[in-house]
Amino acid sequence: MRRALALLLIAGLLGAAGPAVAQGPIVAQFWYSFGGKNREVTEAHIKKFNESQSKYRIEGTFQGDYFQALAKIRAAAATKTAPAVFHVIGEAMPQLWQAGLFENLEPYAKGANGTNLEDFLPGQTQHTYFDYLGKPPAPLFALPFFRSTPILYYNAEMLQAKGVKVPTTWDELHDVAGKLTVREGSDVKVYGFEVPIDWWFWYAMLHEAGGSLLTADGKKAAFREKGAEALQFWVDLVNKDKTMKRPPGKDYNAWEVTNTDFLNQRVAMIYTSTAFLNYMTENAKFKFGTAFLPGKAKQAVPTGGTFFVIARDAPAPQKEAGWAFIKWMTDPAQTISLSKATGYMPIRTSAVNSPEMQDFYKQNPNYKTAIDQLRTAQRFPFSPGLIEIQREVIQPNLEAAVLGIKTSAEIMQAAEAKANEILGKQ
Amino acid sequence: MYLYPVAYSAWVSVYEWDLATPARYVGLQNYRALWSAEFGEVVANTVWYSVGVVVLSQALGLALALALNNRTRLGALFQASIFSSYVVSWVAVSLLWIWLLDPQYGLVTYVLRLVGLPSVNWLGDHRIALWSLVLVTVWKTVGYPLVIYLAGLQAIPGDLLEAAALDGAGSWQRFRHITWPLLAPTSLFLLITLTVASFQGFDIVRIMTQGGPVTATMIYVYYIYEQAFQYFKLGKASAAVVIFFALIVGLTFLQWLLFRRRLHYTA
Repeated sequence: MRRALALLLIAGLLGAAGPAVAQGPIVAQFWYSFGGKNREVTEAHIKKFNESQSKYRIEGTFQGDYFQALAKIRAAAATKTAPAVFHVIGEAMPQLWQAGLFENLEPYAKGANGTNLEDFLPGQTQHTYFDYLGKPPAPLFALPFFRSTPILYYNAEMLQAKGVKVPTTWDELHDVAGKLTVREGSDVKVYGFEVPIDWWFWYAMLHEAGGSLLTADGKKAAFREKGAEALQFWVDLVNKDKTMKRPPGKDYNAWEVTNTDFLNQRVAMIYTSTAFLNYMTENAKFKFGTAFLPGKAKQAVPTGGTFFVIARDAPAPQKEAGWAFIKWMTDPAQTISLSKATGYMPIRTSAVNSPEMQDFYKQNPNYKTAIDQLRTAQRFPFSPGLIEIQREVIQPNLEAAVLGIKTSAEIMQAAEAKANEILGKQ
Repeated sequence: MYLYPVAYSAWVSVYEWDLATPARYVGLQNYRALWSAEFGEVVANTVWYSVGVVVLSQALGLALALALNNRTRLGALFQASIFSSYVVSWVAVSLLWIWLLDPQYGLVTYVLRLVGLPSVNWLGDHRIALWSLVLVTVWKTVGYPLVIYLAGLQAIPGDLLEAAALDGAGSWQRFRHITWPLLAPTSLFLLITLTVASFQGFDIVRIMTQGGPVTATMIYVYYIYEQAFQYFKLGKASAAVVIFFALIVGLTFLQWLLFRRRLHYTA
């Protein structure tokens, strides 16, 4: 009797569970790299997407910073367990595209459940992020997610107290940093300027100095002279003038130090990403402003942040779910709320022009700097060697100049030779 | 089963593999790539770090053990508090020391200023950073040699020391001729375990310096990590693993030889 009852119960459960599984939403994984506040914002949007419809369900997982996530994605791809949707930094995309990790998004974007590609803001899209080096562009494989540029943050109270204006050129930056530095004996109480010794800011200054990473055809590295000029500007500020602090730590550790120093009023001006605007606004106990990066031969910035991609190896229903999610996340309504909650830029023209965003910019002019600065944005060469040049050739070697271990010229000469070696292998 | 990861590393080490594109057989090229000034620096950093940690923590552990070798409550309190840092996670210790050593507003800097000494850029100066890591490691691990040495000291028969004292031997002579020789097996045991542990140092570098400034604190295991998971050079990283494995086995064998002779001698 008992056994019959148990069997009946099991049969009942199976009967109930069977169709429910078939009718349930298609579940797809999404890996992301935003910690802290931006993680909450991302999770809130995932939740909202899941509640907005019943066909798909996205499960988000935090995977560490951009580079930690990149390592996990590659490890997962090697074992064919990559999530359906993830996002990557632009510099890593040419190599991963060439390796066949990404799905071609053109059929999705132009299909029945397509999106209005015309409305994506120039400077924010895959095709305006990359310079295809005279070759035909790669198909669309990425849509912008959180996009940023470096901007200058300044402590408005300190500038006012010393009666100085926001610098717009390297020379002015040099002078203003000197005037804002406060010394006590041999110790520096407040540094005039601080910036992570990092590829991203170096790339801005390389272009400001009038240089570029590669030749126009992408076959050779061409950054030696202007790259050294950019690096030397930091070296002099740190070692000769002692008006710039070199934040310790590598990668994002140095960024964190820079932000913290600014918030603790240990430094008057910093370069960092517009992505930290909300964080700064919430935590600064003083009035601060944002401005374009000061220029040299011209004004120039790289863009940063990440793009959504879909894993080519994912099962078709999951790709479909992933696309629905990406499409939704890049819709004007979401790009507006994502931008306002973080400081990253909106990615749609209609979003920037919307009354809601225009109103927000009027009340929070600091948020407008990045979007205005987009007109000076520089492209990255679409070269599979780009990520290796960034991560191995440039990034780890910049610090040696500021520490006085090698000269800027030596570093850039060696880096250019190494970069050419990498390009030769492609 | 135990040897599988090592064997797999050896296999990967003859390929060029970035996890994204198919692996390509390259023979011994990865090993040749390691034969460089950069890798030499990594090995030198590792040896200096290890020597610093082993010598300092063993000497300090012994000194503390001699000072605390009594059964008073105060002694027990000191022993427990020193040992506690050994139990705490590396991440917590590393974060704590980043804050203490901050060159602008760290506690250590504050104290140095208070007594009129110049502030030191402990983690940011490439000539000092490795030694700062040695000091933090010693601070964290000294509880281990302390406890082992205490056990060793308590195994020394009290009547030997008493007899020597009666014969007029001073405290240094008693230490030199009785305590130290009888502690020899303990010292050798610590030498092996501390050396192997310090060669495997990783967490502290990952949290405190990420191998920097530039390559000043790039020690072996962190280098492997960087090659594999920052640069995606799985082949080169695996070649480094194979060399590391051979190195550790060789080192352990060498110490085992010494250890065996020593045991023979005392027996």
